[in-house]
Amino acid sequence: MEYVTGKMAVRAAADDMRARTLSGIRRPLDRLIYLASLRDYNTGLYYHDGLATRFSLDVACEALAECHSQVFRELCAASLEELVRQLEGYVDSTHAARGDFIAAWQGLEPYRVAVPVETDPVSAELFFSNLRVALAVLQTRLHGHWAAPPSASPQPSPAQ
Amino acid sequence: MTSLIIFLVLGASLLLLLVFALSRRRSPAAGSSEAFLDARQALSALQNDLLAADLVRRLFAKDDLDYILQFTPESVQKLFIQERRKVTLVWVRQVRKGVMSLRAFHRGQARHYARLRLETEFKLAVSFAVLLLACRALEIALYFKGPYAAPQIVGRTVGVAGRLCAISEKSLGFLTPGSLGDLTRGAAGEQAKV
Repeated sequence: MEYVTGKMAVRAAADDMRARTLSGIRRPLDRLIYLASLRDYNTGLYYHDGLATRFSLDVACEALAECHSQVFRELCAASLEELVRQLEGYVDSTHAARGDFIAAWQGLEPYRVAVPVETDPVSAELFFSNLRVALAVLQTRLHGHWAAPPSASPQPSPAQ
Repeated sequence: MTSLIIFLVLGASLLLLLVFALSRRRSPAAGSSEAFLDARQALSALQNDLLAADLVRRLFAKDDLDYILQFTPESVQKLFIQERRKVTLVWVRQVRKGVMSLRAFHRGQARHYARLRLETEFKLAVSFAVLLLACRALEIALYFKGPYAAPQIVGRTVGVAGRLCAISEKSLGFLTPGSLGDLTRGAAGEQAKV
């Protein structure tokens, strides 16, 4: 019974997180990076003060992990074209120079720490691989030789 | 005298064979729980991750290739093919590893509990052999021809692997404590669950 109650609390906390916070972040890639930033690198536990106050530390942690996994699955199911579009939008939202951003992401591969802990190795590898290709696509566009496909209209950034 | 020597040699050989056979035999408990856990993990990885329709579709998605061919220069096209080849090779190797783990379970444990008929055991053995062969063929095709070279083999491999997972799931479900309880309560005449 306690288990069921715990599960229900986690679900309620996850719904709360989606409704109050994640719904305001339009792109799944942005949501993934945001959720990964709530995780302590040393312990792998997620922290969110507001959610922990409304529920509890443990429930908030589990709920954030659930949201993180869901967003990651969403991104893994996205086409490469969609991922390029999302990455392009994310780059613009950071206000960093595109060249610098691409160089930093290609060199440091910071996206490697953005995947949920329990992700299977093939899905994680597919995500990393798609991002490497997406970065290469943006790099070619930066040099101005290749334009984006006509359907690729830029999405507004969460900052906007 | 000659017949005595032959008799002694035969006796010694049989004794040696017996000692060899006994040395290879493990106690039924030893390793059984380990094999059971391995098989459970392999089955879970195959069903929930590796053979998940979304993942397989995305790994071999033609729309990704079309997009790359249409909108990017040759250097990116090469990078894409290299990357996708690498990931699909990881995928097929993981599938193969999982299938081998399930085969080891069926070889060593399932028949002791599930009382498989000889015919069923033979069919299972053939299915495992075919699947492992298909995985190897797919691995070679992916390595030499790239990720989009053998869509039929991908489809068949996933199909056969899915069927074998379903069979293994029944075997593993049969070995849960509840099922074993049912068995001891009088399902003695029941045929193999597989």
